[in-house]
Amino acid sequence: MSSTLWPFPRTPLKSPRRLISSLSSRVNARAKRWARKRQGSDPATTRLGPGRVYILPTGVGLIFGLMAFAMLMGSMNYNNNLSFVLTFVLIGIGFVSMHQCQRNLVGLELTFAGADPVFAGQAIRIRIAVTNRSKSARYGIRLYATDTSSDIHDLKPGESKVFVLPLPTERRGLISLDRFGVRTLFPFELFRSWAWLHMDISGLVYPAPAEAAPEPPPTMTAHGHRQHDARGEEDFAGLRRYHVGDSPRHVAWKAYARSGQLLSKQFAGADTSSQWFDFNELAGLDVEQRLSVLTRWIVDTDRTLQDYGLRVPGAEFAPAHGEPHRRLTLETLALFEGGKSR
Amino acid sequence: MSKPRGTDGSLLASLPWTLAALTISLVPHVPFLPIWITAAFLGCAGWRYVIERRRRTLPSRWLRAGLALACFLGVLATYSSISGVGPGSALLAVMAALKLLETRKRRDQFVLLFLSIFLVMSSLLREQYLWSVPYMALSLLVIMTAWLRMSAGESQSARQSFTTGGRLLLYAVPLAIVMWVFFPRLSSPFWAVPIDTSQASSGLSDTMSPGDITSLSMSNEVAFRVAFEGEIPAPRDRYWRGLVLTRFNGRTWSGREPSISRSALDQIEVAGEPVNYEITLEPTRQQWVFALDMPTSWSLRRTFMGPQQQLARMTPIDQRIAYRVTSHTEFRVGTELSELYRNWYSDLPDDSNPRTEELAREMHAAAGNDRDFVDAVLEKLNREEFYYTLEPPPLGRNPVDRFLFETRRGFCEHYASAFSVMMRSVGIPARVVLGYQGGEINPMGGHLIVRQSDAHAWTEVWLDGLGWRRIDPTAAVAPERIDIGASDAAFDGVGQSWGLTAPSRLVHQFKLTWDAMNAKWNEWILGYGPETQNSFMKWLGMDDPSWRKMMLTLVGLVIGLILLISLLLMLRYRPPRKDEAARLYWRFVKKTGLTPRTGETAHAFAQRVLKSHAAPGEAVGEITSAYMDARYGHGGESACSRLRVAVASMR
Repeated sequence: MSSTLWPFPRTPLKSPRRLISSLSSRVNARAKRWARKRQGSDPATTRLGPGRVYILPTGVGLIFGLMAFAMLMGSMNYNNNLSFVLTFVLIGIGFVSMHQCQRNLVGLELTFAGADPVFAGQAIRIRIAVTNRSKSARYGIRLYATDTSSDIHDLKPGESKVFVLPLPTERRGLISLDRFGVRTLFPFELFRSWAWLHMDISGLVYPAPAEAAPEPPPTMTAHGHRQHDARGEEDFAGLRRYHVGDSPRHVAWKAYARSGQLLSKQFAGADTSSQWFDFNELAGLDVEQRLSVLTRWIVDTDRTLQDYGLRVPGAEFAPAHGEPHRRLTLETLALFEGGKSR
Repeated sequence: MSKPRGTDGSLLASLPWTLAALTISLVPHVPFLPIWITAAFLGCAGWRYVIERRRRTLPSRWLRAGLALACFLGVLATYSSISGVGPGSALLAVMAALKLLETRKRRDQFVLLFLSIFLVMSSLLREQYLWSVPYMALSLLVIMTAWLRMSAGESQSARQSFTTGGRLLLYAVPLAIVMWVFFPRLSSPFWAVPIDTSQASSGLSDTMSPGDITSLSMSNEVAFRVAFEGEIPAPRDRYWRGLVLTRFNGRTWSGREPSISRSALDQIEVAGEPVNYEITLEPTRQQWVFALDMPTSWSLRRTFMGPQQQLARMTPIDQRIAYRVTSHTEFRVGTELSELYRNWYSDLPDDSNPRTEELAREMHAAAGNDRDFVDAVLEKLNREEFYYTLEPPPLGRNPVDRFLFETRRGFCEHYASAFSVMMRSVGIPARVVLGYQGGEINPMGGHLIVRQSDAHAWTEVWLDGLGWRRIDPTAAVAPERIDIGASDAAFDGVGQSWGLTAPSRLVHQFKLTWDAMNAKWNEWILGYGPETQNSFMKWLGMDDPSWRKMMLTLVGLVIGLILLISLLLMLRYRPPRKDEAARLYWRFVKKTGLTPRTGETAHAFAQRVLKSHAAPGEAVGEITSAYMDARYGHGGESACSRLRVAVASMR
C-alpha cells in the first residue's frame, strides 16, 4: 500500500484542472511525508493529541467565507447595524466550528483490531477500533486511506466502535497499511479536520484459488492404496448438520422429509483416507499458478471434511482438516518464498 | 439523462428543518411580496415534502425550466426591475421555491440554507425593529439546526442537533458582540443603492389640495424622535419645518424640487438661546429633512438649505437617520424682497376663488395696512363659525370660496390655504409651510415623539420691515391643536367618549414604554455609527480612537475569546476524572514508594508492601480491603470514605 511519495506527472500537462490536481497531489504527498517525519510511527493504540490533528476549510467553508465577506461589504455599504450583527454571528460560527471540528477528533483513541485473511483479489477488511473516552459525543467520524474509506459513525460518550477499512488486494502475501487517516466534517462541513496515523498494520492475503484447477490427486487409504470412492460409503457413522459444500448425495432426504432439517450422512470410511497436495508434483505451472491450484484444492477439500496434507519446498503438513489446519496451510502458501530459489 | 426515479427518502430527516428554516426566513418578507410568490413558495415546499414522503419522482426538467421562466417573468412584471431589496427578496424566495423542486441529494440543501441566510439578511436591510434581534436569533437557530440535520448520521436525533446548534450559536455570540462593537464604521457608503423604492412613501405629500381630501388619516406611526440637550421648547414653539409650497393653481399648492440656495442661511437673523437637539428620522423616501423652525446648523452630510429655508438631502432618506441640529426659536428671515419675488409670491391664477379675493380686498381696505389686515383675517377666523375637523366636506370648483363662505369646516391645510390666498389677493407675499407641529414628550425616554398625525400646514407672510413671519391660521380656529398637540387631543377625546379612561391610559403608558425602548434601541444599536462608536471608544478609555486601533483591539479580543472557547471545548471533551477509589489508592501507592507492576493485583501488591516493610501492616490490610470493597464490592460510598480515612491516617 505504499504510494509514491513524489509522483511526477507522466503525461504532459494539458488542462488547468489536471495541473491543479497534480499540484494538489504533490502538496498532499509532501504534507504526508512531512507528517510522517514529524509524528514518527504510532503504537497499536494511539490517542490523538491536539498537535497532530490538522484542519483546512472545505469547499462549502470557502463559499461560506465568501458569503460572510459579501455580507460584511453589504453591511458596511448600507451601514446597517443589524446586518452587521448577522454577519458577525456567522463569522463567529465559522470560528467556533473550526475549533469544534478539531476538538471532535482530539482525544480519540484508535486501536488496530486485526484483519481477517482474504484471498487475493478480495478486499481485506482492516478493523480499527475507535474509542471516545470523553464525556461528550463525537459525530461524523470516518476513517480513510488512499482510495478507500470506512462508513461514518457517531461515538457516544465512552463508546468504542470498530471501523472497517476495506482494502483492495491484488497479490498474496502480507499487505500492510502504512498510513491511514481519521477525519470529520462536523459540525457544519465548513472545515475538515483530520489526523494521519502510521501504525504497524498488516493483514494476510492468501493466493487466489485457481479458477480452473486440475483434479486433486487421488485419495489414498491409510495403507497407501488408491481408494475408489473417497467417501467410503460402506460405513455409515451418523448424521450431522448440513454444511454448504456437502454433496447432495449425502443429504439425508428422508430425515429432511420428516423433520424439515437438512442433515448430511457421515461415513466412517473417510477418516482413514487422505490426500497429499504436493507443490513439486504440479509440473508445467509457474510458482504462483501452483500456489493458486494448491489453494483451490485446500479450500475445496477442507469443505468436504477430508484430511489433506501439504508439501511445499521447506515445509510439510501431515494430513488433517479443520480451521487451524486450513489456516496454517493457506498461510504457508501466502507467505511462500521458496519458489524463488528454484 | 437517466431515467427519473422516485426519491429514496434520505432527505426525510433534514428536509422538514430546511423547509422550516426557509419559511422562517421568508416570514418578514410576506407583507412586501406579491401574494403569488408566497403561495408559490408554500406550494413548492408542500409539494417537495410530499414527494419525499411518498417516494414520488421530482418534476421533470422541462417543467422546472418552465416554472423558473414563469416566476422570473412574474417578478419582472411585478417590480419592473431586479435590483433593490424588494425584487431581490422576491427573486430569492422564487429561487428557494424552485431549488426545492430539484433538491435531490443531501448536499443540495446547502444552497437552500445559504438562500435562507440571504433572506434573513435582506429582511434586516428592509426593516430594523426591536424584535429583529430575537427574530434573527430564532431563524439562525433553525438554520443551524437544519444545517446539522443535513450532515448528521442516523444516530443523531433532531434534539441533539438542536442543542448542538444552540450551543455553537451561543459560543459565537460573544465573538459577534466584540466584532460588532469594535469593527470600524464607515461614515459614508461605498456606493449608493436604492433600498426599496416600491414601497409607498409614509411622509408628507409634496403637494396640498385641501378640497380633495375628505378624511385625514390619523396615522400613529412615528415620524421622528427628538432628544433635546436642554429644555424642551414649549408646544407653541414646536414647529418642525419641512417643505415650502409656493405656487397655487386655484386648487393645489405645490413647491419645487429641492435646490441649493447659498443665500438662504444668510437671510436668517437669530436672537435668544439656541436649541440643540438630535433628531432620529424614520425613513420617508423623500429628501426633506425636518428641523425645528428655524435651523441654523446641522450635522447631516450632503444636506443643504433651499431658497425658502427648507432643509433637504441630496438623496432620499430610505433608512433611519440621526442628525444633530441647532435651531433658534426667535428668529427673523429676510430683509428685502425684490419686486420680482414679491410678484411671484403673490401670484394667483385668474378667475379662481373670486369671492375670496373680493373679501380680502374689502378687508384690506378696512384695515388700512398689511399688519392690521393679517390680524383682521385671523380675528375673523377666530370669531366667526369655523370648525376644525379631520373630516371636512369635499370642496368643488373654487375650493377656497366654498370653504370660506359655505362649508367652514376643515383642518390645517384648509386654513393655511385660505389664509395664503387672502394674503396674495391683496399683494402680500405668502407661502405655505408643511411640516409637523407639536409632539408628545415620552417621560420614560425623556425625548419627544413626533407622529404622522402631528403633520401640520402653516403659512409665512412677508411683512415689510419684519421679513417672513410665521402665521398659523389653524391656531386662530383651534388653539388647543397647537397648545396640546394632535395626539394628546385625540387621545383625551377617545378616552372620555368611550368611558375607558383608565385602561386606555394604561395602554398609552405601555405604548410610551415601548416607544422609549425603541428610542434607546435606535440610539444605541441602529444608530451606532462613526460618531457613536468614537465616543463609546473614548468612554472605554481608548484615547484618540482610529480604525487601526479599533481593528487591533478587535483582533486581540477575538483571539482571546477564541482561546477561551477552545478551552471550553477542551473541558467539554476531556476524559472523565478517574474514580475516587483509584485516586485514593494511587495516593497510598505513592506513600509506599513502590511501583505496582503491570498486571499486579491489589493483594499481590499488598504482599510486596508488607514484605518490604514500606508501610505498617494493619494500614496496608485496611486500605487493600477498603479498596477492594469500594472497587468491586458493594461498599460504595462508605467503603470509599473508609479508604479515604485509612490513606489519610497512614504515615
